[in-house]
Amino acid sequence: MGSVLALSSSPGHQNWPFSPDPPPSHWDRRDGRLPNPGSFHSLHRSCKDVFPQQIEGVKMILNKTLSSFFKVSHTLHLSAVSPSYYRFHVEHLQSDDYSKDKDAPALIGEMDSSGSLNAHALLHLNERVRARTVFQTQQSQFVTWQFETEYRGNDFTAAVTVANPDVPRESVILVAHFLQSVSSGLVLGGELVYHRGRAEEGGILTLAGQYSRPNWVATLNAGKGGAHASYYHRANKQIQVGVEFEASTRTQETTTSFGYQMELPEANMVFRGMINSRCIIGGVLEKRLTPLPATLIMGAFVNHRGDKLQVGLGINVG
Amino acid sequence: FIRTIVCSSPPIGDLRIKYPSSHVLAASSPNPPPPTSGGAASGLTVPPGFGMPPVIPSSGEASGQEQEDDSRLPNPGTFDECHRKCKEVFPMQMEGVRLFVNKGLSNHFQVNHTLLLSTTGDSTYRFGATYVGTKQMGPAEFFPVMVGDIDNSGSLNAQIIHQIANGVRSKLAFQTQQQKFVNWQCDAEFKGEDYTATVTIGNPDVLVGSGIVVTHYLQSITPALALGGELVYHSRPGEEGTVMSLAGRYTGSNYIATLTLGSAGAHASYYHKANEQLQVGVELEASTRMQDTSVSFGYQLDVPKANLLFKGSVDSNWVVGATLEKKLLPLPLSLVLCTFLNHQKNKFQCGFGVTIG
Repeated sequence: MGSVLALSSSPGHQNWPFSPDPPPSHWDRRDGRLPNPGSFHSLHRSCKDVFPQQIEGVKMILNKTLSSFFKVSHTLHLSAVSPSYYRFHVEHLQSDDYSKDKDAPALIGEMDSSGSLNAHALLHLNERVRARTVFQTQQSQFVTWQFETEYRGNDFTAAVTVANPDVPRESVILVAHFLQSVSSGLVLGGELVYHRGRAEEGGILTLAGQYSRPNWVATLNAGKGGAHASYYHRANKQIQVGVEFEASTRTQETTTSFGYQMELPEANMVFRGMINSRCIIGGVLEKRLTPLPATLIMGAFVNHRGDKLQVGLGINVG
Repeated sequence: FIRTIVCSSPPIGDLRIKYPSSHVLAASSPNPPPPTSGGAASGLTVPPGFGMPPVIPSSGEASGQEQEDDSRLPNPGTFDECHRKCKEVFPMQMEGVRLFVNKGLSNHFQVNHTLLLSTTGDSTYRFGATYVGTKQMGPAEFFPVMVGDIDNSGSLNAQIIHQIANGVRSKLAFQTQQQKFVNWQCDAEFKGEDYTATVTIGNPDVLVGSGIVVTHYLQSITPALALGGELVYHSRPGEEGTVMSLAGRYTGSNYIATLTLGSAGAHASYYHKANEQLQVGVELEASTRMQDTSVSFGYQLDVPKANLLFKGSVDSNWVVGATLEKKLLPLPLSLVLCTFLNHQKNKFQCGFGVTIG
């Protein structure tokens, strides 16, 4: 709760084997000092990237890089279950130094054919301080407007987020994150969410811990709102495996998921599969169609309990 | 054939089992049977009734003697195949995920498994078998041919085709929906030098006293022109009736124009082979029973170098569809992608399938 809603078409958000590694930042371990633990949102990211993304209908994405600062993409989605849409996505990077980094300073905007807007502004105010602003609308109505400030110390990260502050209605959600590197592999931290509405107010505290080794990463978030545990393992150059457990006290449900990612760079192919305790089985195949600058994506998700099947095809050009 | 039956009065039972074409199994299942590559095992080929009819009507008798002897006209093919060349250009609608495995067990026997996971209906598994006999009638025709397949719900389709004598071919077809028989028909086809006559008895029920008799006749008038007609007689206790329709087909150097006219409606189709890669088809269907007409335009693009086959179609019902088929050599694998979009109803359907073997 209170976390940033992910962009629908954020580029390079999954472990694509062909993208070069992000350039080493000066936050990396040096002289025996503990490294910076990164942001709170990316704790579970390496495990989540292993899982296939649900795909439905036909999606065509055209990416165009106009310059090293400016990128544009058009998405056309034809779907059987939800209304079809056209989406226009534009990214303007502040500098072209770390263009492959996910948290690079940028202005990102996305506009839908129904008028829904999604705007992110990530700024590096200075070496240690970062700010992020997010606006999201559903057609003409604002759904999210949040402001986040993050301070990256030598071996800790602290962030404060103000989400949906509404002065007339006297409601606001405040989130504070803190992560501290305790040892070379261990990171501990917590999240405090305070929400206030006209009739009620409350706070939820969640503790987080992450232990990483060269081949695997184990993460745990536990609090009054539920628990979220994930384990990511890189078996070899081609196979990565992730296991995830989520429990929520609000919906009184638990879910366990198992996912794997198989890369075949000689065949220009990546396959991601997953199986769920909700009896959902899914697989997505991505194939780069060399020499064309296009990627073909085929995926299917089967929900055995509800006996539903979802099939998707996609093509990414550029 | 089908339309004439349905439109004449209360449905007796759609006789949808047609003479098999390039589909080994031709049944009225909602998921049309996959097109086979025409025989997996070496030497196992399907008779001409299964394969695509040639652009020029097939001639068993009229060979190079046509120039000398003008009275020798080619055999016009069967009545059902008049519109087939044009229909084959159009893409086949498919949704969900389909896996089709074809295994040739010997020169005479072939087995296939189909697994269809559907987004809208039920998922099905289908098992099919094809047996081709030893009596050889032509360079690649063997008889008898027995084709059958059964569903996971118990629905069965079975056909037996046999060449009884020179020029006489007969077929027996059965179709069940779970355990109830829906179609049972028997037909005999007489292929003369320049004519084809077919008699079909459909769903004869002696106890109830109902049945359908269909007669087809197609005659070559000139080497390019073939005329014919169809007469359908159906009877049930209490009512009986006939429907008649006439057909004409003109074959040019690289095109075929066909017209079928009857009291049930009209069906006109035009097929044009532009070059080695591009084939185009236009079709007009008018039905007096449903009081509507539809025009479809389809094209087929064949790129054998890329092992690619692309079919597209546009309809007057605002339906746009396309199918892409690609052979993934060196594996004996074929991938099919299909999408259909109905702009009027704003409905979208996509599916893909893998064919192995």
